[in-house]
Amino acid sequence: MLEAKNLSKTYTSDGVDYEALKDVDLSVRRGDCIAIVGKSGSGKSTLMHLLACLDAPTYGSVLIDGRDTSAFTERTKNALRNEKFGFVFQQFFLNGRDTVFENVVLPMRIRGASNSEIAKETTAALDAVGLADKVNKKAKDLSGGEKQRVCIARALVGRPEVIFADEPTGNLDSSTGAAVEKMLFDLNRDQGITLVVVTHDSDLADRCDRVIEMKDGRIVADKQREAAV
Amino acid sequence: MKTWDLIKTANRNLFRNKLRTILTVLAIFVGSYTLTMTNGVGDGMRDYVESQIKNIEGDRVAMVRKKIETPNGPSSGAAVEYKDESEEADEAELDPNTVLLTQPQIDAVVRDIPGIVGTTPRYSVRGEHISVEGSKKYKLELGMLSDGLVAKTEAGKSISGPNQIVIPIGLARALDEKIENLVGKTATIGYKVPDGSIKTVPLTITGVMTKGFMTNNNSFVSADVAKQIYAAQSVQEGPAKFIGFTIQMDSSDPTKIAEIKKQLDAKGFEAETVADTQQRTYDAIGIFKTGMNLFAMVALLAASFGIINTLVIAVLERTKEIGLQKALGMGRGKIFTIFSLESVLIGFWGAVLGAGAAIVTGLAANQVFVKFYARSFEGFSLFAFKPLSIAAIMLLVCAIAFVAGVMPAIRASRLNPIESLRYE
Repeated sequence: MLEAKNLSKTYTSDGVDYEALKDVDLSVRRGDCIAIVGKSGSGKSTLMHLLACLDAPTYGSVLIDGRDTSAFTERTKNALRNEKFGFVFQQFFLNGRDTVFENVVLPMRIRGASNSEIAKETTAALDAVGLADKVNKKAKDLSGGEKQRVCIARALVGRPEVIFADEPTGNLDSSTGAAVEKMLFDLNRDQGITLVVVTHDSDLADRCDRVIEMKDGRIVADKQREAAV
Repeated sequence: MKTWDLIKTANRNLFRNKLRTILTVLAIFVGSYTLTMTNGVGDGMRDYVESQIKNIEGDRVAMVRKKIETPNGPSSGAAVEYKDESEEADEAELDPNTVLLTQPQIDAVVRDIPGIVGTTPRYSVRGEHISVEGSKKYKLELGMLSDGLVAKTEAGKSISGPNQIVIPIGLARALDEKIENLVGKTATIGYKVPDGSIKTVPLTITGVMTKGFMTNNNSFVSADVAKQIYAAQSVQEGPAKFIGFTIQMDSSDPTKIAEIKKQLDAKGFEAETVADTQQRTYDAIGIFKTGMNLFAMVALLAASFGIINTLVIAVLERTKEIGLQKALGMGRGKIFTIFSLESVLIGFWGAVLGAGAAIVTGLAANQVFVKFYARSFEGFSLFAFKPLSIAAIMLLVCAIAFVAGVMPAIRASRLNPIESLRYE
């Protein structure tokens, strides 16, 4: 469903060009569970941003369900991210002063959903991450693991087809990290949501069905885990 | 995002940093307060003046006088040739040496101007005293009310025929505490004639006039009575000469009046209707009001920089949040709208509080003012607050706030989502 063709991205800062991504080809199938791994500066985050239409490639193109996103207007890309994608970030990006509910509801508000729909989907999303009882708590009063679960609920609330997770366990200790990982894998397995995880945590990567290794802006390995084949 | 959600979000964002928001609102408050006050003073003055100058009405009448010729006239300092008054001269021909006019000259001026149905020369008369049915004699200030002009009255009505008089309210109260009782009674007025003796004439009181600038404390009689007194008081030899006259027109249509004025102007005369006189006064007050309001606008301008500052900081503070909102699909327009709404809300609260406080203090000041000066300024409120003016001020303050918010709002809307999420 997601396809990258000859994807290149060059950043220019202070007049110096820096090629973050060089001619990358990649195909993501519906229901895939993919880890993009590599050292920092390898281009893994850039690849994710381009796949998620958060950034535009310098050359090449990203196709979604066969349609070239470079032809999309800003508005279409916004709608696409809002409706088809969910995002989980390492630093959570929660609004601490707002309640859990208000944080989770954000994608639905942006979409302009009706109040009844908002209530229904938010309850479902919070149930899925086991935080239904914390709905009215302020986000800042939660533990790290709970915060990341709120983020997953936020990614989930709009019923996305793909969840992009950027170092989802990077700020968590190993046991809470494991719980968050399990939650993401369950969503992939049970609901068929495509999962794209960017990480340098090899343990997390090893639990994905497919591992794409990046180095200096190129894909150096694309391994399908035997058990998943 | 739905509009109501945008407003709620903007409001919530504002009160996340209460102190900063309150301080910014306070700056707008000061500007809005000042503007409401200055505008209130202007409106108060206008109201008072309006009540004062509207006590003479007449929409088909204009006062006419000869224009004082410039640039060759006396005021320019240039030498003007003196022309001897010739015995054989046509009596209707205008004398360039004076602004005074004789009746034949007046008739000649208006003769071929269509739309003028009558003229009344300005008889200047001096009254001496007035008494009503054996009462004490009071000093009389006497004036003439040209045909077509109507005096506004507190009791009774304006004069409408010969041998009638309207008297000012101050005089009426001295004559009888219940001014209504005076209507229909006979007043005896006295006036001095050149030989030093005082003649009297009985007149029927038709009404008691409303107080006003334009009439001072004059009593008014019709042109017939004035003519009679004028004739008795005149010491001039030859035909009577007047400093001006009043024309009665057949229409109150402004375009027709303008045409008549134009024709008079071409003949060297200027005409002024009651509406013109009022307009001149309103213009003067308007200029005063605008000047005062400009000071308030300076305060608002200063406050608008406070809004810009507050929002620029808010954009920096919320860079990550904006990045997230954009990543989750919020468009530029919505981001711009949220920040604009925040600045308009700051303006709105400042305007509401400022105008509210101004109204409260203004009304309180009116009370104090009435206590001290009520006698000399009857019916005067220092501040007048009109719903439409207040609404206009609020709208203006919100508009200024919106303009102030444009730059920060554009900055926010243009943020790149990835860079914003990485912003430290």
